[in-house]
Amino acid sequence: MFLCALLSIVVTIGIIVVLAFEAVAFFRHVSIVEFFTDTRWFPLLEPRHFGVLPLLAGTFTIVVGSAVIGIPVGVASAIYLSEYASARARGIVKPVLEILAGIPTVVYGYFALTFVTPLLKHVVPSTNIFNAASASIVVGIMILPMVASLCDDALRAVPDSLRQGAYALGATPFEVATRVVVPGALSGIVASFVLALSRAVGETMAVTIAAGATPKLTLNPFESIQTMTAYIVQVSLGDTPAGSTEYQTIFAVGALLFCITLAANLAANRILRRFREVYE
Amino acid sequence: MSDPKVVDVPVETKEAVAPDVPVLEVRDLTIRYGDKPAIRNVSLVIPERKITAIIGPSGCGKSTLLRQLNRMNDFIPDCNMDGQILYRGIDLYDPEVDPVEVRRRIGMVFQKPNPFPKTIYRNISWGPVINGFKGDLNALVESSLQRAALWEEVKDRLTESALSLSGGQQQRLCIARALALQPEVILMDEPASALDPVSTSRIEDLCFELKERYTIVIVTHNMQQAARISDFTAFLDTGKLVEFGETDQVFTRPREKRTEDYVSGRFG
Amino acid sequence: MSRLLAAPANLRRRHRAARAFRAICTVLTWFCLVLLAVLLVHATREGLPWLDLQFLSEFPSRFPERAGIKSALYGTLWLIGFTALFSIPIGVSAAIYLEEYAGRSRINTAIEVSIANLAGVPSIVYGILGLAVFVRWMALGRSVLAGAMTMSLLILPVIIIASREALRAVPNSIRYAAYALGATKWQTVRHHVLPSALSGILTGTILALSRAIGETAPLIMIGALTYVAFVPSGPMDQFTALPIQIFNWVSRPQQDFHELAAAGIVVLLVVLLLMNAVAVFIRHRSQRYRL
Repeated sequence: MFLCALLSIVVTIGIIVVLAFEAVAFFRHVSIVEFFTDTRWFPLLEPRHFGVLPLLAGTFTIVVGSAVIGIPVGVASAIYLSEYASARARGIVKPVLEILAGIPTVVYGYFALTFVTPLLKHVVPSTNIFNAASASIVVGIMILPMVASLCDDALRAVPDSLRQGAYALGATPFEVATRVVVPGALSGIVASFVLALSRAVGETMAVTIAAGATPKLTLNPFESIQTMTAYIVQVSLGDTPAGSTEYQTIFAVGALLFCITLAANLAANRILRRFREVYE
Repeated sequence: MSDPKVVDVPVETKEAVAPDVPVLEVRDLTIRYGDKPAIRNVSLVIPERKITAIIGPSGCGKSTLLRQLNRMNDFIPDCNMDGQILYRGIDLYDPEVDPVEVRRRIGMVFQKPNPFPKTIYRNISWGPVINGFKGDLNALVESSLQRAALWEEVKDRLTESALSLSGGQQQRLCIARALALQPEVILMDEPASALDPVSTSRIEDLCFELKERYTIVIVTHNMQQAARISDFTAFLDTGKLVEFGETDQVFTRPREKRTEDYVSGRFG
Repeated sequence: MSRLLAAPANLRRRHRAARAFRAICTVLTWFCLVLLAVLLVHATREGLPWLDLQFLSEFPSRFPERAGIKSALYGTLWLIGFTALFSIPIGVSAAIYLEEYAGRSRINTAIEVSIANLAGVPSIVYGILGLAVFVRWMALGRSVLAGAMTMSLLILPVIIIASREALRAVPNSIRYAAYALGATKWQTVRHHVLPSALSGILTGTILALSRAIGETAPLIMIGALTYVAFVPSGPMDQFTALPIQIFNWVSRPQQDFHELAAAGIVVLLVVLLLMNAVAVFIRHRSQRYRL
C-alpha cells in the first residue's frame, strides 16, 4: 500500500525527468535565448524559427479572454449561492454548475466552432472561422463552475455571526456581502482565480478545435491563433520521427506549460495557507 | 469619564415626538415560527433610560422577543407575527418603515462576541461610515470606546486586529461598535454568558454607566445578574409574559406563583 | 408618522444599489442555466437526426451517410475497463495507506504534496508522459494498454483524493470500538472502515472514470488513431475512442461531419449521464441508511 502511495512521487519525478530529458536535448540545437525572444514559430518549415512567444501569446489571449467571462460570472454565482439563494434555488443551480464542469472539453470545442463562431460572425463579420474569441468564451464557461464552487466554499466558511453583526449595525445585504463577507473570504477567492486560470492555460481540445493552428503575435481576438497546447496536439497528429527536433519541440513546449501550471498551483496553495482568514 | 465634545449624530427621533411617548412598547405581540408560537400575546412598555431584564427558562422565547425589537427576525424565513411593536409611537413593522433605519436606532449586542476580522478602529468606524456619517470619525471612535470603558486599554493599538483582544475586551468592542451609531436603545442577548466572571462583572458595571444615556433591554438566563443590574424585570415562560415590574418587587414580592417558583430556583 | 423611520435619500440610494447588485448576481447565475440548455439543445438538434442503430453499429467512413461509431464505442469500453483495472486498486490502496497508516514524515508529506500538484497538471502533460514512457520506452506502441496506463495516471490523484474524503468521513468511534475489541489495524480497516466508506469511494471512482471517458488530449498524444475501422481484440491492439472520433469529425470542414460529431456527442453525454446517475444513486442510497 505504501508503494501505491509512493507512486505519486514516482509520477511527479517521472514527468519532470521526461520533460527535462528531451527539452535539454532540444536546447542543444536551439538556444534558450532564441526560444524566448524570437517572435516567430515555424518549427516545421524552412526557414525554421523557434520563438515560443507566439504560442505564449496565444495561450495568454485565451486565458485573459476566459477570465473576462469566467471570473465575474463565477464570483457572481458564488455570491448568489451563498447570500441570496433559497435552498430550492441552490438545489437547482449547484447541479447545473456541476454538469457544466463535467462536460468533456471536446464538446465545448464543438460548441465553439459550430455555435459561437457563427454567432460572432453576425456581430463582427471579419471574424475568422478559427478565432481566439470563440475559444475564450467557451473556456470561460468551462472554468466558471470551478470559480463558483471554490468561491462558494470560501464564502460559506465566513461565520454567520459576522453577517448578523453587520446587519445589526444597519447595513444592506449588498454592503454585508461586499464589505464583510467577501473581504472575509478573500484568500479563498483569489486562490480560486489562480487555479481557474491555471486550468485555462492547460486547456487543450477546445482551443485546438476552435482557435486555430496559426501561431502569431496578435491582439486581435477575432483572428486565428495557436496556443501551446494546440501546437503539441498538432505535432502529435502528424508524423514526426522520434529524436528529431520537431519531436523535441513537444517536450520543450510541454516543459514550459508544466512549469507555468505548476507555478500557478503552488502560488494558489501559498495564498490559501499564508492568508488563511482567522475569524475568531 | 470625560465626555468629548458632541459629535455629528443622525436624526434624534426623540425631538420629533412628544418626549413622554414610551421609547419602546410591545402590544399584544404573538410571534410564530411557521405555525408554532414562540411568543404569545405579550404586552409591555420598556421604560426609558433604564435597564429592563427579560428572564425565563430555556426556550421561553426571550431571544425571539429581543430580536423582534430591531427586526432581526426579518432574516428568518418562516417567522411571522401578530400585534405591534411601537418605537416612540411608530409601528416598527409598518410597510413604510425601513428596517435598516430601525437597526440604526435600536442596536444589538450578541451572545458570543463577533468583531469583524478588521482593525479595532475599523470595527467601530464601519457602522457609521456605511450609514453616511460625515463628521469627525476619530472623535466618534474615541468617544464610543470611552463609553464602552475600553479606550484606555486599546488607545495605543487601534490599528491592530480586533481578534487580538481577549473575549471580554471583544465584547466591550462590540458594545462600542453599537454605541458608535448613537442608538437610543441597546438590546443585549446574554452578553456575558460566554465570558469569565471578571469580564462579566465589567460588562455589568458598563451597563450601569450606559443607562444614563441609553435604554437597555437585556436578555439573561442568570437570575442573579438580572437582580444585580436591572431596574425592571420581565419574566417570560413558554412564550407568555407572566409578570413585569420593578426588579425589587419581582424578586422579593412576586405577584405570581410561577414567578416565585422560578426566582427561587424551583425550576428552570 | 412612520415616515420618520422610512428610508432617507441616501439610504434609498443604498437600497437601490443593493437591489441592483442582487439582480446582477441572480441574472448571471441563471444565465449559466441558459448556457447549459443552449449547449445541450444545439448538440441534440444537430446530432439526433444521425442517431440510429446504423450509427451505433457501423465503422467510420469517408461517406457521412455510412459512418458510425462502433470502433470508438468499443475502444472506449476497452480503455475504461483497463483504466479501472489499474487505477482503482492503486488509488484506493494509496488512500488507505495515507489515511489509516501514514504518520508524519518527510516522505509522507512529499507524497501528499505530489498528489496535490499532480491533480492540477494539464491532461496533455500526462499524454506527453505516456508517450515517452509507455509508448516509446516500454515499447507498448499505440495500444489500449498504453492508453489505459496513461489514463490511470491521470485520474489517480482524483481517486486518491475522493477516497481519502470517504475514509475520513468514517467516524473514529467505529475504529476505537474495533480496537477496543482487540482487532488489528488491518482487520479494522477491512471489516469496518472500508465497508463504511465504500459508497463514497465508489462515487468518487465512478466520477473519476467518467472524467477519463471524456479526455481526448492524452489519447491523441499516445497515438490513438483517428481513423480506425476495426474493434480492438486485445490490450495490445490499436484503438480509438469516442472523444477522439468526435474530434476527428469536428476537424473536417464538411457540415455533415459536424453533425455526425454532434451525434457522437449525444452518445458520449448519454454515457456520462448514466454514469453520473449511478454515482448519485449510490450516494443517495448510502445516505438513507446513515445513522
